[in-house]
Amino acid sequence: MGIKKNVRGQMEAVGLVVIVILIALGMLFMATFALKSEPQKKIFTRKGLAYSTMSALMKTTVSEKAACYSLSQGAPKIGGDVIEDCAKYRDVDTSIYQCIGPTSGKALHSCDFLAEMIAYTLGTTLGSWNKNYEFHAQLIPFQGEEPIDIIEPIIAGGCPKWKERDSSGLFPINTEAGLVENSLYLCD
Amino acid sequence: MREIAEEDGNKNMKNRRLNRQGQLQMTETIAILFIFFILLLFGIIFYFRYQKVAFQEKQEELLAVRAMESTLKVLFMPELICSRGEAEPEDNCFDVLKLNATQKTMQQYLDEYYFEIFSYATVTVQETYPENKTWVLYDKPKPEFTRKEPTFFVVTLRDELAGKDQPEYGFGYVAVTVYS
Repeated sequence: MGIKKNVRGQMEAVGLVVIVILIALGMLFMATFALKSEPQKKIFTRKGLAYSTMSALMKTTVSEKAACYSLSQGAPKIGGDVIEDCAKYRDVDTSIYQCIGPTSGKALHSCDFLAEMIAYTLGTTLGSWNKNYEFHAQLIPFQGEEPIDIIEPIIAGGCPKWKERDSSGLFPINTEAGLVENSLYLCD
Repeated sequence: MREIAEEDGNKNMKNRRLNRQGQLQMTETIAILFIFFILLLFGIIFYFRYQKVAFQEKQEELLAVRAMESTLKVLFMPELICSRGEAEPEDNCFDVLKLNATQKTMQQYLDEYYFEIFSYATVTVQETYPENKTWVLYDKPKPEFTRKEPTFFVVTLRDELAGKDQPEYGFGYVAVTVYS
């Protein structure tokens, strides 16, 4: 009788072990699903896209249609002439460049033109692909001073810090008014 | 006689009890085995479903890798990139003059040369500022494709003929779609 009881007890223990193994396997599968890392392509695309967008934007020149040429210079560059003009004359009503905005169709102050131009170009690319983004252009007048936004940050959907986001990195432009740091944050 | 009959009756009762106990144990074992096999079946079904999803994910991953590679190839193609003599080429920049010429060349040598580079894909360049122009550089979608993966990259478009003294830089993007 004692042996029989022992055998039965052993069998029950084996059953328990089998159940524990099955549950452990299930948990392992669940953990594999939960801990799956973000696809490589997604990260590559987001990082590369943020950088390439910023790089292209800074190189873009204002078209002849915007009628903002000064006498001797060629087409003003967004990431040079226009940003510098905005940084210098941001507190003044008139700026050297008075370009026609791509959406409003009116001659604008360089800061307003800059904001409209950036919103337009980002909207036709990142916006049309349903990406969330944030563009910042901040002026640091002197070393150690608090940065000032030369234009209102352009936010579409927004990329707060807690969200998984990538930055284009800082695109600094040295102007007579100080250093202008431009950055673009991109998230899905 | 009576004693013998009583003894036989007791034996029968004992045998019946033992039989019932054995039957109960058999039923219990069968029930346990049944539950065990049900669990095992669930496990097998789950595993095969997981394998199927994993296989599909692997295929998607491979397609995404191909999309990335194709996009990088396009971004650094000497046929398109902005160059100036022996100077370092400008990154994220396409030359509009080169684009116009390459569009024809790529279509002409699509099967002989470019198919080896891009396989089944579509490469288009779209200008969004100042004009809205499209260049379809390469277009070879896979017949009856099951999956496609588009990748976008923003580029600047240098037009040497548009500016007065300096070239004008437009804004646009390159779209590379790969098929499987």
